[in-house]
Amino acid sequence: MIFVTIGSMFPFDRLIQVMDAWALANPRQDVLAQIGNGTYAPKHMKFVRRLSQTEFGATVAGATLIVSHAGMGTVITAGRAGRPMVLLPRLQEWGEHTTDHQIATANWLGGKPGIHVAATDADLPAAIVAAFSEQDTGSRIAPVADPAFTDRLRTAIRGFNNSVKVTVQ
Amino acid sequence: MKTDQKIMAIASGGGHWVQLMRLRPAFEEMNVFYVSMDKSAAVDVPGQRYYTIRDASRKQKWGFFVVMLQLFRILLTERPKVVITTGSAPALIALILAKHLFSAKTIWVDSIANAERLSTSGKTAGRFADIWLTQWPQLAKSDDGTRHPEYWGAVL
Repeated sequence: MIFVTIGSMFPFDRLIQVMDAWALANPRQDVLAQIGNGTYAPKHMKFVRRLSQTEFGATVAGATLIVSHAGMGTVITAGRAGRPMVLLPRLQEWGEHTTDHQIATANWLGGKPGIHVAATDADLPAAIVAAFSEQDTGSRIAPVADPAFTDRLRTAIRGFNNSVKVTVQ
Repeated sequence: MKTDQKIMAIASGGGHWVQLMRLRPAFEEMNVFYVSMDKSAAVDVPGQRYYTIRDASRKQKWGFFVVMLQLFRILLTERPKVVITTGSAPALIALILAKHLFSAKTIWVDSIANAERLSTSGKTAGRFADIWLTQWPQLAKSDDGTRHPEYWGAVL
């Protein structure tokens, strides 16, 4: 199954339109798109508006390929499941996000195991072919952040708690 | 270790929540409760108190007002001493309310999605957070004399 997703926030009709055209050119029954509040309803792939957090995780785990915006929720969820991804970054200039930070995210992640970036719509089909060559990225990211980071946060939180107690006494 | 000092861990749905979950070893065995937007996210924190608030961007004034009321009610009920968040705007409101009305200590971890500049909420959070963090070392440099967030690490 190919899972196309715009993430949890704003619509991303460009991704849905490009993937609908791709689905027309590469007919298969198992393409599911999650389109949010988009105005473009795809004709050549199945679609849902929203998925709960649980359904989203299950759909990612059940997919052989994820095609999505360059959002960290999707990237981390797919990375946890070891699924290959194609990322199309949202552009501020076309009203797809409030800033161009997804370009930075795509530049940072492109080339990492299982991650293929399509900088433009035209790059998407080739990126899909490349991603399909690795059905399982083989690299699953750890479930939690680097312990050095969380330990430092934990120490700081404990420090807050202790200082609160001292002021009470 | 259980402590009576409550911790509020709050994040918007999607990527912000996914990042907050990756920070759980920092607080999961403490007296913590969670706040986000999607009811189904409760399955990520089984057996722990989980509240939902409305999803509202800063553009929707009425929606934002409702979110403020929801947050105020949660804060009044729980009275956390520490607030930790990975964003976004509604979480910033929670952080400010908790700091000013309930004297909570606050931690802002700017999203890893902001590699080149802090989010708008993240910039504002610098005025209110006791610990103000970016997940990108290059954003923590302070050679231009202005105040910058610290870098302690990243969720990935």
